[in-house]
Parts: sequence; structure tokens; C-alpha cells
Amino acid sequence: MFRILAVAAAAALLSGAATAQNKIKYALGDVVGIDDLPLLVAAERSKKRGVEVEITPFKNEDIATQAVINGQADIGQGTPYAAIEKVNVPIRFFVQLWSLQFFPVVANEHYKSWKDLDGQEIAVQGRGSGTEAIMLLMAKQHGIKYKNVSYVPGSQVRALALIKGNIRASILDATNKNFLMREAPGKFTILPLGEIKASDESLFARLEYLQKNQAAVQVFVEELVRVNREINKNPMSIVEERKKLGLLKDLPAKLEEELPTYFKEGVAGGIFPNDGGAENAAKTDLEFFALSGSIKKENPKVDDYWHLAPLKAALSRLK
Amino acid sequence: MRGWQLASFALFFGLWELAGRWPVSAAFPPFSAAFLALVEMLRDGSLLKAYLITLQPLALGIVLCAVAGIGFGIGMGLSRSVEWLSLPIFIILQAAPMAAIIPLITYIYGIGLTSKVLAVIMLAAPVIVMNSYKGIRNTPPSLLQMCRSFQGTRRQEVMKIVLPHAAGLIFTGLRLGLAMGFIGIVIAELLITPTGIGDLITYNSSVADYPKMFAAIASIVALAAIALYLLERLERRWFP
Repeated sequence: MFRILAVAAAAALLSGAATAQNKIKYALGDVVGIDDLPLLVAAERSKKRGVEVEITPFKNEDIATQAVINGQADIGQGTPYAAIEKVNVPIRFFVQLWSLQFFPVVANEHYKSWKDLDGQEIAVQGRGSGTEAIMLLMAKQHGIKYKNVSYVPGSQVRALALIKGNIRASILDATNKNFLMREAPGKFTILPLGEIKASDESLFARLEYLQKNQAAVQVFVEELVRVNREINKNPMSIVEERKKLGLLKDLPAKLEEELPTYFKEGVAGGIFPNDGGAENAAKTDLEFFALSGSIKKENPKVDDYWHLAPLKAALSRLK
Repeated sequence: MRGWQLASFALFFGLWELAGRWPVSAAFPPFSAAFLALVEMLRDGSLLKAYLITLQPLALGIVLCAVAGIGFGIGMGLSRSVEWLSLPIFIILQAAPMAAIIPLITYIYGIGLTSKVLAVIMLAAPVIVMNSYKGIRNTPPSLLQMCRSFQGTRRQEVMKIVLPHAAGLIFTGLRLGLAMGFIGIVIAELLITPTGIGDLITYNSSVADYPKMFAAIASIVALAAIALYLLERLERRWFP
């Protein structure tokens, strides 16, 4: 009897350990929004395959990154290249969720083209952010120089500031660009942007974690890539999946209406990679974030920032 | 500075150094690293540049609070109707969680200097107003009765008894208001738009330059502490 109990206790302990290993603590550096739907769907599907992804939204990407560095979270989302370079804990990216899709917006009353922004003030997300890098890249391409770059965190805040006239030129994400155009029709112009395929959101983790938990990470990556492929095939699939799985139930009606447009625009812009970004995304990122000043290292190597083993394993299973 | 005060600082910085070297977290630098980062920021001028930006709304906010806040506080202390009208507002402002309210300022006043000055005022004004009000109200009745028994006018009563008696408490209000102002400006620079010292903290956090981030935080704490210490000494000299 005692032996049976001991075996049962050991089995319970072992199953507990397995459960703990199959739980991924995911640090999201923002509130959950419609752009996170592919992530939510992938998390639900991973759960069905025995890998629970516990998503915790943090106030911003920096805090989420710190949580990963300190080991309080397993996986983080964003593009903290500068942090990865500086911190003494090996952190690596392993899959790209989607690439940059931003829209430089100017108030018609003051500007009409990139040339008009010469010597003018612009507002971007933050110092060293992707939005700043895009605007600096465009200034370089058009041979102009801004008078001043202000930092205004949050696309929504910048959209409201544009409407109120507090800022005249900025750069917004798709959701807020659509919001701005709907709220103030005819008052703003979207400036043309060349093709920029660097990561907007990629996943990263401590290298040690990725190596020790490759099986669980691989399941999650498989599901993320699968969702992206479904969206690229049919942008409405994510809307249907949301209904089926009952995700983001409290989404306001206005944002719900925007769902199809957001994903159709994303697919048209080619922002959802069918292969998790892989080496191409890594190389594009290194180039882009070196330009933005986030990467300071000379001749940065993919292996110093990315660990592609879980993605390669996932892609081989998905073929 | 006395020996035991120096020992207290040495103990604090020593513990900080140990905690950073242990380390308690990969993002927690030792004191020596933060100190070197502070020296670097002083040398390259980034810290001074940041303070020139941060101190602008702080000074504006405190000056406005000093003029209007003390005026309001005195008004509330001298007149029941002003008290009836204003006291609830300042009690609410004192109790309100400002970190939640400050971001809302941007909806009305945008993201510029006005919002940051307003953030300083929202934190500093209640303390300044309430201290001035209490200073006036706490005038000993015996002094007022004495003034009246000598047939002093209301003006003489206010100028020669009420205000001199309340001056100590009004000055304390200003000192505490400055402390709240420091909190207000840092919250505003972290929550509204990252400028000045808020930008140094935010940027260095985003690029994981934790020694510089901690150096920036420690510098604003030190500046606030030194400013308050000097004001306290001044207060002791003027109102012993």
C-alpha cells in the first residue's frame, strides 16, 4: 500500500514538473489589442497541444524586457536589440511575429510632402525606437533635416495630438492611422514610405531557456507560423477564429469593425511572415536597427542576436 | 556633515555595491557602475542638458503655486465663503491618485510645457494651500483677542498677528510643495512625454543601460533631497 502511494506521489510530482515545463510565461509590453489576435489564437491552440502560454501585459516594452532579463518571464515581445547587446545575460530572438507597418502622417494645413518637413518638428514614439529610425531613414533618403524630434509614446496619443493640432507631423500604426483618417477626413496626408521589412514585433527569450525548453517553444512557434499562414491565405480567417475561440470579447464595436481592414492591409503590406521571418528577417533587422542606433556593434552577426533552432524545427514539421 | 551621517551613507552605498555585485537582478548595477555612469553623464553634458529641461516646468509650477497657492490658502483661512468653496477641491486633490490623473491632462492641454507645469501644480498646490490655510486658522485666539482689546483694526490683526504667526507654516508648505513638485515633474516626464531627466531614465531603460538609468534616478533623488535640506535649514534660521 505504502509503495503504491509512494509511486502515485512520485507520478504526481513528475506530472507537476512536466506541467511547469510546458507553461510559457509571456511578457507583452502593451495592453492586448487587435494586433495581438494572431498571438492569442496561437496561444489557445498551443494550450490544446499541452503548452500553456500565460500572457501578462506590462505597461511598456522596457518593463517586459526587464522581466525576461530577470527571469520573471520566459518570452518577451518587441525589438529590444539595444538591450540584448548591452545586458550580460544572453538573450536571443527566435521568431518574427510581424514586420513594421507604420504611416508617416502630416497635417495638410502645414505640409504636403517629405520636402516640406525640412527644418520642421516631428513626433515619434521614443528615442531609438523603430518609428524614429523610419523617420530618420526617410529624412536621409529625401535629403532633409528635422528641426527637432519630440518623443510621444503611444500611437493613440500621437493621433489625438495630431487631431488637436498639438503636433503637425508624426508616424502612426495602422489602427491609429485609420482612426485619424476617420475622425478628421481630408485633414491629413500619408507620406509615401519605401519598403521597410524590419521587425515590429519579434519574440525573444534567454538563450538558456530556449535551449532547455525547445520542445515547448517549438509547439508555440509552429502555431504562430500556422496562424500567420492562415491570415495570408485569408485575412478573414482570424476574424472567424476570434469568434470561434471567444477571444477579445469586450472589444468595442468601433474596433471590431476595424478588424477586417487591419488584417487585409497587413496582408497587402506583407507584414505577416509565412516562415517566422527566419534568417532574412534577422539580417534585415540587423541592418535597420544598426541604422536606428539600437545596434552599436560593428559587423553584427545573426547568431549574436537570433537563435533559429526552434523555428527551423517548427518549419520542418509544418512543411 | 557628522561622522554618523557619513557612516550611514557609506553603509547604504556599500549595501548597494554588494547587491549589484551579487547580483539581485541582471538589471541592477553596482553603486560603482552607477557612479561612473553619473560622472560620464556629467562630463558629456547630457545630465546638465536634461536638468535645464526638467527644472523649467518645475520652477514655473512652484512659482505659480507659491503666488496663487499661498494667496488661496490665506483667503481660505480668512474667509469662510472662500473656505467653503475651495476646501473640498484641495482635499480631493490631496487624496487623488495623481499618477492615474496626470496622463489625462494631455487630453486637454496636449503634450507640451503646459501639461508638465500643470502636473507640478496638481501635486504641489494642495500642500501649499492647506498649510497656508492651517497656518492662518491656527492663530492663537488669545493673540487675536489682545489685538481687538487694544482696538486694532482687521487689517492690523491680519498684518501684525495672523500673517507673521502663519509664516512658519506657510514656509513649511512651500518646502513640502517643492518635494511634491519634484514628484510631479518626474511623473509627468515619465508619463506624458519623456523629456529632461524623464527622457534619460526612459531612454537608458529602453537600451538596457541600467547604470545610467540608476544614475539618472539617483541624481534626481539627490537633487530633491539637497534642495529640501537647504530649505529646511533656511526655515530653521528664519522661523526658529
